[in-house]
Amino acid sequence: MQEARRLSENYATVNPCSMCMPMGSVMAFKGIEGCMPIFHGSQGCSTYMRLHLAHHFREPVDIASSALSEKGAVYGGAANLKKGLLNVIQGYSPRVIGIATTCLAETIGDDVVQIAKEFQREEPHARDVAIIPASTSSYSGSHEEGYNEALKAIVKTLAKRSRSNARFNLVIGSIISPAEVRYIKSMLEDWGCGFDYTLLPDISETFDAPLAATYLKIPEGGTPLAEINEMANSRETLTVGGSVWGGGAGDYLEKEFGVHHTVLPLPIGVEQTDRFVGKLEEITDLGLPEKYERDRGRLLDAIVDCHKLVAGVRTAVFGDTEMALGVAKLLCEMGMDPRVIATGSKNAEFVRRGEGLTPGSEVLSGVDFSEIHEAVARNDIELLIGPFTGRQISKAENIPLLRVGLPNHDRFGASRQMVLGYEGTTGLVDEIANTIVEMNERDR
Amino acid sequence: MGIIKTFDERADHIKQKSGTDPVPLACSNESLAGAVSQRACVYSGARVVLNPITDALHLVHGPIGCASYTWDIRGSSTSGPTLYKKSFSTDMKVADVIFGGEKKLAGAIRELAARYRPPAAFVYSTCIVGVIGDDLKAVCKSASYDLGIPVIPVMSEGFRGNKNEGYKAACNALFELLGTRDYVPKSPYAINLLGEYNVAGDLWNVLPLFEEMGVEVIASFTGDSRVEEIQRAHKAKLNLVQCSGSMTYLAKKMEEKYGISYRRVSFFGIGDISSALRTTAEFFEDPGMMERAEEIIARETARIAPEIERHKSRVAGKKAAIYMGGAAKAVSLVRAFGEIGMDVVIIGTQTGSRDDYKKISYIVKEGTVIIDDANPLELKELLVKQGADLLVAGVKERFLAYKLGVAFCDFNHDRTTTFEGFDGIVNFAREVDITINSPVWNLPVERVGGALMRSEVETEIGVDQTEIRTEIGTEMRREVSGVIDAGGETVV
Repeated sequence: MQEARRLSENYATVNPCSMCMPMGSVMAFKGIEGCMPIFHGSQGCSTYMRLHLAHHFREPVDIASSALSEKGAVYGGAANLKKGLLNVIQGYSPRVIGIATTCLAETIGDDVVQIAKEFQREEPHARDVAIIPASTSSYSGSHEEGYNEALKAIVKTLAKRSRSNARFNLVIGSIISPAEVRYIKSMLEDWGCGFDYTLLPDISETFDAPLAATYLKIPEGGTPLAEINEMANSRETLTVGGSVWGGGAGDYLEKEFGVHHTVLPLPIGVEQTDRFVGKLEEITDLGLPEKYERDRGRLLDAIVDCHKLVAGVRTAVFGDTEMALGVAKLLCEMGMDPRVIATGSKNAEFVRRGEGLTPGSEVLSGVDFSEIHEAVARNDIELLIGPFTGRQISKAENIPLLRVGLPNHDRFGASRQMVLGYEGTTGLVDEIANTIVEMNERDR
Repeated sequence: MGIIKTFDERADHIKQKSGTDPVPLACSNESLAGAVSQRACVYSGARVVLNPITDALHLVHGPIGCASYTWDIRGSSTSGPTLYKKSFSTDMKVADVIFGGEKKLAGAIRELAARYRPPAAFVYSTCIVGVIGDDLKAVCKSASYDLGIPVIPVMSEGFRGNKNEGYKAACNALFELLGTRDYVPKSPYAINLLGEYNVAGDLWNVLPLFEEMGVEVIASFTGDSRVEEIQRAHKAKLNLVQCSGSMTYLAKKMEEKYGISYRRVSFFGIGDISSALRTTAEFFEDPGMMERAEEIIARETARIAPEIERHKSRVAGKKAAIYMGGAAKAVSLVRAFGEIGMDVVIIGTQTGSRDDYKKISYIVKEGTVIIDDANPLELKELLVKQGADLLVAGVKERFLAYKLGVAFCDFNHDRTTTFEGFDGIVNFAREVDITINSPVWNLPVERVGGALMRSEVETEIGVDQTEIRTEIGTEMRREVSGVIDAGGETVV
């Protein structure tokens, strides 16, 4: 097994469990109202990531590209990028453009911040468009880091100090589904703080647009620009998810503008949702609405109902850091055995947190699916939970894979997946239990 | 005056067939920045061509993204080895970019070869490799020497052109492998199939037909192929080239070096599969084979006729839009739509050449719009303006069609049913039928008597946001007339 880890860490990656930074940036940019992302790089990056996201969300996903060619790579890509920005403005009438650099642009040394500034000076069309440059070369980190970096770039570019306000910022620090963002919003609505907070990024509508009579070039929804401007003046920031990373949008707002920042894990399972709810009670000075207290009771009910069925089931959880940790934590609460907890991103805090969950688990960071496969085999795993990219393990070992998280290309409803909060967790508990029921029936 | 509103630079890439002259369509290798082209990159072109070789090791030298997004992308089926379904990458990091990635690459090849024992390896270069200057060829050469297997560099830096350049890079790689193994064909009538990728198992609808004719298929390039088959493919007498965009270059090289003739064919559509069989028989000038070919064509056509007629009666007269990667498939689709009584109103490709578009303009009807390197905004406007009932394209276009209430048929990597051969055309007709005639399109897109007219809701985002809409309460399928301003002004 040491052999296997060496194989991956030093040389080849076999079946990747992560994506690249620009992918993460799109998840952030698409959560801003009227925002169109553009990649500064070769045409393929945009097409591949559009394809990947269209597969996952089953939605049209438009991402522009500066379409750098050989000439651009040699002489610099400023002209292409400016042309691209102008065409995006003319074609899409965006309010905001997010520029994500790719490996190519970063390595040839284009100064995207400078190019964007020049463009806005030179181009009358660009004056009313906010342009956000984010530095996201693929080789610098995973899609999670790209997401984090883009969120930081968004507040760095747009948040402006003026008069303090009574609002709070709610930063979604890990990639979650549109349905999950909708759930958090409706929870806050029920709480009575419908207009007192800014949620960033808001992909609730942009990646899950209703079929309607009107087709919009840029889907409706997203965090309004004016609200992002005001994030520097909020009384505090709560980041949910992304707790293993640090250095994101919330930290930036605290450092630059003194906005107090708290980071919490994603609200999955009883304890983590309790923490989220408790923090919101503290921020809003209002008690949890009765409806959610009842949801909490129903979650406990669901967990109790299946506790004997699921007891000790050896499970491997993998995918994005926060999602994997959250699900693993839930499994512990249910009395299951999350024997393998793995992520494709390199992150020491992930390992520390994972090892703290349950003694004896193998917690792996920066691994690929070949290593996860070996961990699955040596731990005699019975159930897999994570993105669809784990399907080869599922097939080879003949164990079920419950699809949770990005990417999910081979099942429907990824944009409507809901595993957060008391209600979402309840759904996940039932799904886990039913998967085990089917497993047992099949083996009988 | 253009057909739809678009960018100035794009106007010459969209033309309507009018009269008998060929349509002078502009096409170029560079996509317009910011226009959201549907094209991919050089690496993508190379990868889709080579990836279906099932027992080869496909290693991407680059950052993780390039491998992540192309993992098992092709939808190409295998009858045996599954190594091609794994995604191998050197996962380059900052240090590799600064200090060079050659050592890591050499190590990766060595380790993977030891672990999987492939008969050959393809090593793809990506954008970054082209910039930092890793000597891919030297690393591969030395690895090949050490390991005793062909380790073939695929020069596919993403930014050095479009998919066409990638096809060429892939053909060069295949050519390097070709002729490295001796073989005596079992039949005097030995052929290769070029540009056949066995998507969903297409190849297996076609192979039995050739077998029945007494023809031996040495290698399929590259669907369900093995390294060994590619190595001995030079022993064929004839190359049938299906996807001409990706494989004509290789066919010409094989003709030059090995004297193997080639013919352009298609295995899709009753007419096209029939002429593919006839072309083969005629090439070998064997009367017996010609007779067998005619027997097969007559028998199979009669066998599927009732099914085809049934679907045809349900889709005849409907309007189809075609947007394909290459021109060969697009041309074949025009004929196939003719066979099920449908009209083509839009036809476009990502990487067609001037000649391709000339050819297309001869076979389409008056009024058909021909488009090169389309983007979503143009496709959206064209689908509505031309009143398309169905779009045939790939995943990126699928959800645009759905949002517009247009039926959709996947003709790309993602389909799960075969479309080639005689059984394939039945599958195609069925899929077109079930999507066009699905009741989902009759659902009311908005509640009759809904409280708020959408047009009264102000959107703040842009000026062009409400240009496509139907009457409140009408069914999902878009009305054609009066929906869109067909004026030819550009957005500028």
